[in-house]
Amino acid sequence: MSGTGRKLNHVWRIFATGFVFVLFGVGALFISLTMFPLLRLSTWKADTARRRIQRAMQLTFRAYMETMRVLGILTYHVEGAERLREPGRLIVANHPTLLDVVLLVSQMPEVDCIVKRGLWRNPFLRWPVSWAGYLPNSEGEALIEECSATLRRGHSLLVFPEGTRTVPGRPLRMQRGAAHIALAADSEILPVTIACDPPTLFKGNPWYRVPARRFHLNVVVGTPVAARDFVRGNEVPARAARRLTQWMLAHFDAGRTLRSDLGEASAAAWLPGVQPFTR
Amino acid sequence: MSVTIKSREEILEHLRVVLSDLYELKPEQIVPEANLYADLDLDSIDAVDLFLTLKEITGRKIQPQTFKDVRTVSDVIDAIQALTSKPAG
Repeated sequence: MSGTGRKLNHVWRIFATGFVFVLFGVGALFISLTMFPLLRLSTWKADTARRRIQRAMQLTFRAYMETMRVLGILTYHVEGAERLREPGRLIVANHPTLLDVVLLVSQMPEVDCIVKRGLWRNPFLRWPVSWAGYLPNSEGEALIEECSATLRRGHSLLVFPEGTRTVPGRPLRMQRGAAHIALAADSEILPVTIACDPPTLFKGNPWYRVPARRFHLNVVVGTPVAARDFVRGNEVPARAARRLTQWMLAHFDAGRTLRSDLGEASAAAWLPGVQPFTR
Repeated sequence: MSVTIKSREEILEHLRVVLSDLYELKPEQIVPEANLYADLDLDSIDAVDLFLTLKEITGRKIQPQTFKDVRTVSDVIDAIQALTSKPAG
């Protein structure tokens, strides 16, 4: 790519990213106030409405992902996506970017998510999030209780055990809440490793600082493990939760180091592709 | 199980046993100045566990409020001392 071409492409991606951010904000509000209430009214049964709304979320997020792909902001690939559609598991993922939720939910027709509890005080959004069956990020015990209950009902639940996006260059840190949820529900855990190459939209990186080239999001869905495999004898959950969290850390760390090779390979695969405004 | 605990040293000894058993900590990590969250890596769920365990050990009703401000092992000792100095009830 020539110097001018690269510069044009860079400017284009800043513009496109800004456009998508506005689209997200406006779109989310619009959908919450139109599609969600309509879907809620489409049936008497709260559970049917929940499933329809979650399906609508998937399609909306799929549309967002495709918009970003078509605009030349990113490419993405999901390995093992079929396992994301098997219900009743705690899905744990590392959290390198702002788009992780969008990407994962775009692959799942039905999944419960944890969202900011402040939304329940918002007069416009409190109903949409409740209809969707989403859970407020309450404190400690209460959150574990609600999350394990949803798993026991056979729903899938998506959790980012880091609690917030990863800070690049720092060792991965995880809270033990996810482990406590899986142990309390006696559920299976499905680890999902997300890698972003080159890194962007990470914690502390503003949206307009777009990477040198179109970025690639690579998702590897692992194989499920049972939470009870981490429990030894009659020990207190605190110890099993520590062991399980250690396992998750090791799993994601291995995925992250592997990523550099994987990232190169996948980058090579998409680089010769269509580059908007560079011809 | 109810035990009469007197000196701070004795309470600390007891805490060493309880904490190292509950949270896979080394007894030598458990010193009065150790911060439960920063140094011993407890989280809010562990804190609730600890609170219930201490309730069992001291045989006293502990108000959750007492534990809200607890940050260090020394604070835990203070809380236990304050509890056990009061008549049971």
